[in-house]
Amino acid sequence: MSADPHADRILAEVAGMLAEIVGEELLIAAEITPDSGFDDDLALESIEFVALAGRLQEHYGDRVDFIAFLADLEIEEIMAMTVGRLVDHIAARTRTEALDGAR
Amino acid sequence: MSEVHANGLRFHVQRLGPPADRPTLRTPVVFLHGLVLDNLSSFYYTLAAPIARAGSEVVLYDQRGHGRTERPRTGYDPDTAVADLAALLKACDVPTPVHLVGNSFGGLIALHAARTRPDLVASLVLIEGQCLDLRTDAEPTGTEPTEAEPYAGGWVEEMANTLNLAALGLEAHPGPERLPTGPARKAARLRAGADALLNGTTLIEDVTLLRAPTEPELVDLACPVLAIYGELSELAPPAGRLSELLANCTLTVLPGVAHTVLREATAPVLGALLDWLVRHEPAGTRSGVGR
Repeated sequence: MSADPHADRILAEVAGMLAEIVGEELLIAAEITPDSGFDDDLALESIEFVALAGRLQEHYGDRVDFIAFLADLEIEEIMAMTVGRLVDHIAARTRTEALDGAR
Repeated sequence: MSEVHANGLRFHVQRLGPPADRPTLRTPVVFLHGLVLDNLSSFYYTLAAPIARAGSEVVLYDQRGHGRTERPRTGYDPDTAVADLAALLKACDVPTPVHLVGNSFGGLIALHAARTRPDLVASLVLIEGQCLDLRTDAEPTGTEPTEAEPYAGGWVEEMANTLNLAALGLEAHPGPERLPTGPARKAARLRAGADALLNGTTLIEDVTLLRAPTEPELVDLACPVLAIYGELSELAPPAGRLSELLANCTLTVLPGVAHTVLREATAPVLGALLDWLVRHEPAGTRSGVGR
């Protein structure tokens, strides 16, 4: 775990969504860390990543602007992404709000 | 809401909306993917996000038996595909008519929708969609097909043959009983999905019985059509004939590519589509900022 509780919480949420989409077999097969690659390590199918993106959009709403995030990436870049890069994007977009909430 | 029940089936649907600060195009864009190994992800990673960002409401779904949608045993014919589309648009409260964008077999379904449910379709965008079967339409030549004419039986027969071969191959070489983990997992899952679709449903039967639309059936097509085909594709000649036949058809032939234009020529396809959508917005319906 890192020293960033906000990012840690998002990592746990993303890992939970992945388990729902792919099934528990994923958790048995691989520990999900920031360094896990969606393609290399988790062997996620393209359509499973789409399902994850859909859930992230539902969960975090327009704050994360996932559409713009994906529109700027080539499919190869999307599949080569690590869980950490995705978590960082969400964390950056939601951090101000998290701080506001903590005050 | 990525799960939608329509026409007795659970569909995987993804919807992307335009940014709140963009002028919005009122006619939604609905994407129809291709057969067997394809699913909504091929559009999701290429055209969907930029189209949404440019101001359109985008709807993508996995067709029956594909991607994360349920896989019933029957109903892989164009009539059922159009019934699925109509039911899904209704279940999602998508205002019609819509722009239908079909890739490969999705193009054939889009064309079938425009013919049988013209009320649903504002315009058609066919990306390497199967349309006319020139060989079937043409008068018999009396000559045997030569090697220079690999599609002598027409695309319907060719597609049925390809699917049959794939089905036999999958049956003859069964995959592992338990799905592997790690990198081998993805290939194993793709294989298992194709096997279940080809050997466990009526898809091949439905495709074999398919009849390509004839010229008289297409000549009265009312909606505008954008046809995007690869120069090297076997479907380019039928698309050329289609554009001659239809009163309102724009043909774009992309140089140097074959059937896989969506993947290999994404940028020109996107450019043509963005231009098309703006030009085919009904007059006076562009709203200001937001909706």
